[in-house]
Amino acid sequence: MNVSTAGSSLEPAAIFRRHNLRGNLFLFFREKPLGALAALVLLLMVLAAAFAETLATYDPIRTDAEHTLAPPDRAHWFGTDNLGRDIYSRIIYGARVSLAVGIASSFLGAVFGGIIGVISGYFGGWLDLLTQRIMDILQGLPLLVLAMVMAAALGPSIGNVIVAISVPIIPRAQRVIRGSVLAIREFAYIEAARALGIGHLAIAFRHVLPNTVGPFIVLMTAQFGSAILVEAALSFLGLGVPEPYPSWGRMLSVSAAEFAQKAPWLVLFPGTAISLVVFASNLLGDAVRDKLDPRLRGA
Amino acid sequence: MPVYLFQRFITAFLTLFGMSVVIFVLLRLVPGNIVDILFSSAGFVNPAAKQEIAHELGLDQPIPIQYGRWLRDIARGDLGKSYRYDIPAWQVIKPRIPVTVELAFFALLVAVFLGVPIGVLSAVRQDTATDYLLRTLSLAGLSMPSFWLGMVIILFLVSWFGWIPSMTYVSPFEDFKAHVLQFLFPALAVGYRSSALIMRITRSSMLDVLREDYIRTAWAKGQREWIVVFGHALRNAMLPIVTVIGIEFAFMIGGLVVTETVFNLPGVARYLVDAILWRDYPVVQNLVMFIAIVVVVANLTVDLLYGWLDPRIRYRVR
Amino acid sequence: MNRPSGRLLVCALLAVLPVSVADPAETPKPGGILNATLLEAPPSFSIHDETTISAVWPAMPCYNNLVLFDPLKKQESLDTIIPELAEKWTSQDGGKSLVFSLRKDVKWHDGQPFTSKDVKHTFDTIRETPDITSKLRVNPRKLWYENVESIETPDAQTVVFRLKRPQPSLLLMLASGYSPIYPAHVPVPELRSKCLGTGPFKLKEYRQGELIEMVKNPDYFVKGRPYLDGIRYTIIKDRGTRYSALQTGRQDIAFIWEVAKTIAETTKHAAPQLVLVETSTNVNDHVIVNFRRPLFKDSRIWKAINLAVDRKGYIQAGRQGAAIIGGILLPRPYGVWGLPEDEQKKLPGFGDPVKQKAEAKKLLAEAGYGPSNPLKFAVSTRAIPTYVDIASYIIDQLKQVGIEATLEQVETGVWHPKMSRGEFEVALNLTGIGPDDPDANFYENFRCGSIRNYPDYCNPEVDSLIEKESQTLDQKKRLALVHEIDKRLQLEGARLMLGWSKEYVLMWPYVKNLVPHQSIYNYGRMQEVWLNK
Repeated sequence: MNVSTAGSSLEPAAIFRRHNLRGNLFLFFREKPLGALAALVLLLMVLAAAFAETLATYDPIRTDAEHTLAPPDRAHWFGTDNLGRDIYSRIIYGARVSLAVGIASSFLGAVFGGIIGVISGYFGGWLDLLTQRIMDILQGLPLLVLAMVMAAALGPSIGNVIVAISVPIIPRAQRVIRGSVLAIREFAYIEAARALGIGHLAIAFRHVLPNTVGPFIVLMTAQFGSAILVEAALSFLGLGVPEPYPSWGRMLSVSAAEFAQKAPWLVLFPGTAISLVVFASNLLGDAVRDKLDPRLRGA
Repeated sequence: MPVYLFQRFITAFLTLFGMSVVIFVLLRLVPGNIVDILFSSAGFVNPAAKQEIAHELGLDQPIPIQYGRWLRDIARGDLGKSYRYDIPAWQVIKPRIPVTVELAFFALLVAVFLGVPIGVLSAVRQDTATDYLLRTLSLAGLSMPSFWLGMVIILFLVSWFGWIPSMTYVSPFEDFKAHVLQFLFPALAVGYRSSALIMRITRSSMLDVLREDYIRTAWAKGQREWIVVFGHALRNAMLPIVTVIGIEFAFMIGGLVVTETVFNLPGVARYLVDAILWRDYPVVQNLVMFIAIVVVVANLTVDLLYGWLDPRIRYRVR
Repeated sequence: MNRPSGRLLVCALLAVLPVSVADPAETPKPGGILNATLLEAPPSFSIHDETTISAVWPAMPCYNNLVLFDPLKKQESLDTIIPELAEKWTSQDGGKSLVFSLRKDVKWHDGQPFTSKDVKHTFDTIRETPDITSKLRVNPRKLWYENVESIETPDAQTVVFRLKRPQPSLLLMLASGYSPIYPAHVPVPELRSKCLGTGPFKLKEYRQGELIEMVKNPDYFVKGRPYLDGIRYTIIKDRGTRYSALQTGRQDIAFIWEVAKTIAETTKHAAPQLVLVETSTNVNDHVIVNFRRPLFKDSRIWKAINLAVDRKGYIQAGRQGAAIIGGILLPRPYGVWGLPEDEQKKLPGFGDPVKQKAEAKKLLAEAGYGPSNPLKFAVSTRAIPTYVDIASYIIDQLKQVGIEATLEQVETGVWHPKMSRGEFEVALNLTGIGPDDPDANFYENFRCGSIRNYPDYCNPEVDSLIEKESQTLDQKKRLALVHEIDKRLQLEGARLMLGWSKEYVLMWPYVKNLVPHQSIYNYGRMQEVWLNK
């Protein structure tokens, strides 16, 4: 074999056989308690977002002229903003938007990037060369800048924001997937399959693809955090999700900063929410990567 | 090595070329046109006048021709006119570049001087309480939105000290102290995040190196800890760290955009936001191209440095 | 001691007690640079091309008008108009001619002498007479001077405005910050970046989007003025940062518009020595619907929108109490022409919110909308925090009657063209009027075909009423006509009025003679301002 990565990436992948999923998860949580904790936090957030109607105490866009800038109390757990809107409810509903955008864009980016990576890596040759140059170009532009230009070009809507954030993720995703495809492509059993006459596409999808699941998961958890931060930045700059959808990033722009001196809770809660989600996502990403692909540690 | 250099230059050039195409096309996708914006506000739109201006701006030509003209203009040094301010775009951009460069430089300094020592410390004290604490702090840095950090810093300064750094750009020749203070806090806000990444790379790279045989030999020979760490381990761990520093410079640009907004620094990054919001397309085009160039140059520099530092590449014959 | 000398002692003591800030006996000290703040970069320095305070405020120091509202008097009216470039003026021919005698000793910033030619050039350019040499890019106040038939310059120091019919308001419009005199020898497009006038300050430096620096005009025709050596306008977009800068003393005065009452109070609380002046702005918030769209040809729709919004809530939540309800014209006690409060309150939208919302739902149901078929549209507004907030409030109010609205944020630079082109459905708009004057307001915003008539409202009957009031010399009769027009415009949905905003101008106490007026557009000259430092 002429591949320097022999062995290391196959073993964890080999563990991930479907009938052993529960066992794997259990193992994972036992070995990496921090990662497990992070996963739990994320799960709770997702559940909170899903059950926003039940968990929220008020309609997030409902204004209340009598109770503007109220500090946290029994009626309003996180206080109210300058229009009298309940911040706790806006955070819960905002979770829906931020998490949805984060998941959708990182997933889209990873999937498209993954497909491109598989095709490019598997077939190689001039197709690979060309694709790589194009991907280099897309990746060369900083994430936020490209997202900003796309968001401005497409216009503010939740769909457009998802597209705008997923586009810069594609090249980053495809690089990782392609790397693992390159490694796997050379294995003996692949050559054997080809010798047996199995078509390229079948090989690609039946053998190569499942082995990219590991890196894919690592990738998604890594990009998820970035996606959330970019969405927050876009909303902060006024290019993100429009009203009336509450968005954590937008809660930090517009009025929050100005009223912050009198009502610091306007700034503290949304920022903490964002940081918490990204922190958990990073912890989980670290743990998953440690488990699945120690080569990438520290990257 | 020369072969390597040459290859890298060609790649960089091609990449830039490709980027220019992407940028150009992206902006033309936008609905609405600068001519509309300029003229419809008058109400008594004279179709002939509108045509005239469209022709002058070259907007009535097919896209490939427009692209060609843009490239030609850039080659000539003509970066077009800012529609917002009615003056050449370069005139608007030029004074802002040093501000952003300086901020990026300071942020990078913060990142390196914070990230590397902490990474080393964390590696040397692996799996101790110190290690976990430092890793948590650094992960927090990666998780916080940098504009939020900026806002919190300002809030803190105003509430506790009743003071904030200057809101207009103070040149270092005018008032050095005020200038330093003006850049210190935004540099901290941006640098903290970059320091986290550098810290992680340093830590993992150091860990790898510390496991090597020659390090163990040095231990066995009774060398003092700090000499081993800094004299031997760090030097060999530098390679990936340097790579990341170079890449970080490019990644930092996102953080610069929001931080310049929060701290009211008149830099290129903030101007990009304004230009986008104002639909000042020539400026957006040129600014993004400028950023792309910076990124490509940074990557190129890293590649070259990498090539120089890693003897395997330096002496490879292809 | 016996009483008389005790009283004497007390009197002596009172005589030496510190005088109040407003004591006119304080002698102005020359010198110093005023650090003022701007919300955003001015679109250009050419005041006649612009419609926003962001342009007028920093450009006013460069220029002079024929006449101006006295900077030191808060309430503007015909009685507070003082001479600037015109020394005296008379009305002749039964009000159909306005004759100005101009000063002799005035020079433009580039040294050229000022003559009547410059006045003619300025107003001919605005009126777009066929013989003008350069054109304004935009010309929002062309209709202000529609009544001017011709402008004559019998000699270098005399200008005669020949009117088609008498117009009491013309002098008021000429006294507004929006009416500077332009140099005839400079092409108009150059003035967008040049700010070349006869005024007390010259433009020293403009750092794009960052800072405008003005320096004293040593050859200014009023001797001993200006007191200041210069003015620095710093552009700080972020409102929180703006007020932090004021609080920490980096800025001497905040921007005179776009303050939130809460922020002003917090800042004053943190720095109690700051002077807080509550004033009106002559800017009103209102909702407009686009009559070009078929949806709004059904009057029930916009009537429902009007009824849905609780005005009291708008004042409290949207503006933290810093607004008063009013109609088309600025109401008392700030303005002179507005509808009296009891009449305004009778109009739809200003009554009991609960009843109104029920009525709105009924109207929508009649028009065919309900929970299964909700009415949807976009509410556009300028991307300024206050307006985004008010629009969010309105969207909430609309939701309560079953309308699902989304918010569209538009940057200032793109706002006016977008509105003029009619590219909106419903918009939360604000309009400021230079002087508190019915002509200025009606002509600019409600006449058929005016470019600032964004909803494309057109009623020839109202147009003729406006024409009538403009030439009515009897004050009482004119007021009655103006009230009638005001009511009609509101009842016909030309504007769904919300209220008139108040401002809280904050400045450090050492800034003297900067007296906020009840309109924000007319006191930016800075000629009388001095720093007690």
